[in-house]
Amino acid sequence: MFKALEKLLMPLADKLGKNKLLIAIRDGFLISTPLIIVGSIFILIANFPIPGWSEFWAKIFGEGWESYLSTVSRATFDIVSLLTVVGVGFAYAREIGADRIQGAVVALVSFVIIMPTSIPYVGEDGPSTLSGISFDFVGTKGIFLAMFIGILSVKIFHMVYKRGWTIKLPKGVPPAVFDSFAALIPSAIVMFFFFLIGIIFKLTPFESAHNFIYTVLQAPLMGVGNSLGAQIIYTFLNSLFWFFGINGPAVTNSVFSPIFRTLSIENLAAFEAGKTLPHIYTGQFVDFFQTFGGGGSTLSLVILMITICKSQRIKQLGKLSIVPGIFGINEPIIFGLPIVLNPVLIIPFVLVPIMNTILAGIAFETGLFPYTNGVNLPWSTPPIFSGYLVTGSFVAAIFQVVLIILGCLVYYPFIKILDKQYLKDESSQITEDELEDISFDDLSSL
Amino acid sequence: MTYRRCNECSSSNLYEGICKLNVLMVFDQVQAGMGGKENPNLPLGGKKGPIGSVTMLEPYLAELDENVIACFYCGDGYFKNHQDEVTNKMIGMIKKFNPDVVICGPAYNYKGYAYMCAIVADAVQTQTDIPAIAAMSAENEETISAYKEKICIVKMPKKGGTGLSNALRNICLFAKKMANHEDLSEIKKIYCF
Repeated sequence: MFKALEKLLMPLADKLGKNKLLIAIRDGFLISTPLIIVGSIFILIANFPIPGWSEFWAKIFGEGWESYLSTVSRATFDIVSLLTVVGVGFAYAREIGADRIQGAVVALVSFVIIMPTSIPYVGEDGPSTLSGISFDFVGTKGIFLAMFIGILSVKIFHMVYKRGWTIKLPKGVPPAVFDSFAALIPSAIVMFFFFLIGIIFKLTPFESAHNFIYTVLQAPLMGVGNSLGAQIIYTFLNSLFWFFGINGPAVTNSVFSPIFRTLSIENLAAFEAGKTLPHIYTGQFVDFFQTFGGGGSTLSLVILMITICKSQRIKQLGKLSIVPGIFGINEPIIFGLPIVLNPVLIIPFVLVPIMNTILAGIAFETGLFPYTNGVNLPWSTPPIFSGYLVTGSFVAAIFQVVLIILGCLVYYPFIKILDKQYLKDESSQITEDELEDISFDDLSSL
Repeated sequence: MTYRRCNECSSSNLYEGICKLNVLMVFDQVQAGMGGKENPNLPLGGKKGPIGSVTMLEPYLAELDENVIACFYCGDGYFKNHQDEVTNKMIGMIKKFNPDVVICGPAYNYKGYAYMCAIVADAVQTQTDIPAIAAMSAENEETISAYKEKICIVKMPKKGGTGLSNALRNICLFAKKMANHEDLSEIKKIYCF
């Protein structure tokens, strides 16, 4: 059965893992991730979930102190589409071997070319327009379009470049000058292309490419991603891939992460504006309610390894794995216990994250605690802290503990099987030659 | 487990009527199940019997009648700082255990571990009559280009990459052929760097 399953999963993982478009999108996002984390920490400080927080600081810094902090969040997640188009353009250029920085900037320029830049407003003299870039188009609503343009613009750019439609300067010209002239014609063609596309969209009822992609693609996809069903499929695949030694999230995130990320940022925007939080199944749901201690929610497993297992090997590995586990790292047990290709542990390894997903989904749906505020904490933030910080509710922190305990119950029978097996290995060796450890000190004379 | 002497090959590997090959594994801290990257200074040690990631190899070891008699382990950081001492001690102990083959790996894309695998496999090959192989992923370019002519380095995916179970099977298969002194020139082209 495992063989048949692997035959099915391997090509899928290979295709997704080696697809240059998906790699570019995944890595393109990674470029902006640190900036988004810093930006959301500023929002968290401005809106810290403690009653009287805002009033306390207002006494020191004066009313409206939060608005100072919003300059940083505005410069990061309010322009997340600009960061995305640059990141994806850069990563895709790297993947196909094009000039990276030229790729990144030509993507950025293309994105702005097709963006509506006259903003309607009603002033004292009646309705009018002003020229400018609207946060509406460069915030979350433009993410999917940014990904498209990041890819498409670089693709065209590189195609033209490869055909040799470039201005060639004589030898001896400095490389920087040479490169910038070489990029001239390809850039011109890309810019003209998006100029035409922009005009075409203006003539449609959608009025802009932004509107079009948002309506026909981004909103429906986010609707699908923002569901319990999608989350269950996502977490199931993650665990299953890991069992075969394949980094599950690296495969699945290439499809899911743009959706989760957009949902998170929309929640964050609502959080900052003090509006009702719109979505449940955000990136924070995935990071802080689906698994604890890494893929397979192995923090529960590590706790059992320390507390109830008798095999010295398991106990010792448990002790070494608990601290990394609290911070969401489980490499020592993935390979050392191991979990990879271990038919005993695959069952709880798949089941526990699905159980967490369903129970957390129900808890959010029934309003046991508030939705996640979209604050992009590092995924390594330990449970309890993470639950509190992303919801502002102690109930969520306690709920995380409950999930970890329930995870222990599911893992219990399976780690017991493994414990007995290892214990048998260990004791049989002791009867054979008293000592299991090999002493290298015997060889000190060597 | 009790082993008896095999009449056909005169090794003492006969177990339940089957003559098994004795395999000795060389692990880093992660594969030994003794911690992660935060524990690189794990000193040299060993266990008589299978530990850590041997479980992953078990189906293929069983299929090919191979049996892990001992696992040596050493943190990659400790190895780096005590390279000669650790290598010498390992060689001494390998001579004592006298396995049919030594497998250094699987090292994935762990750079320090891959380096240790290459050094130890090379030392075993040159200083004993026991065959040794290493296994690592293509990311360890420096180690591979320095050692691929001297030792057999079986290809395998990086950590989290695809094709792990195939690679583990290749490692076991290659180890067996090597222990049996079969002609390796053909399969080396396919399985090794």
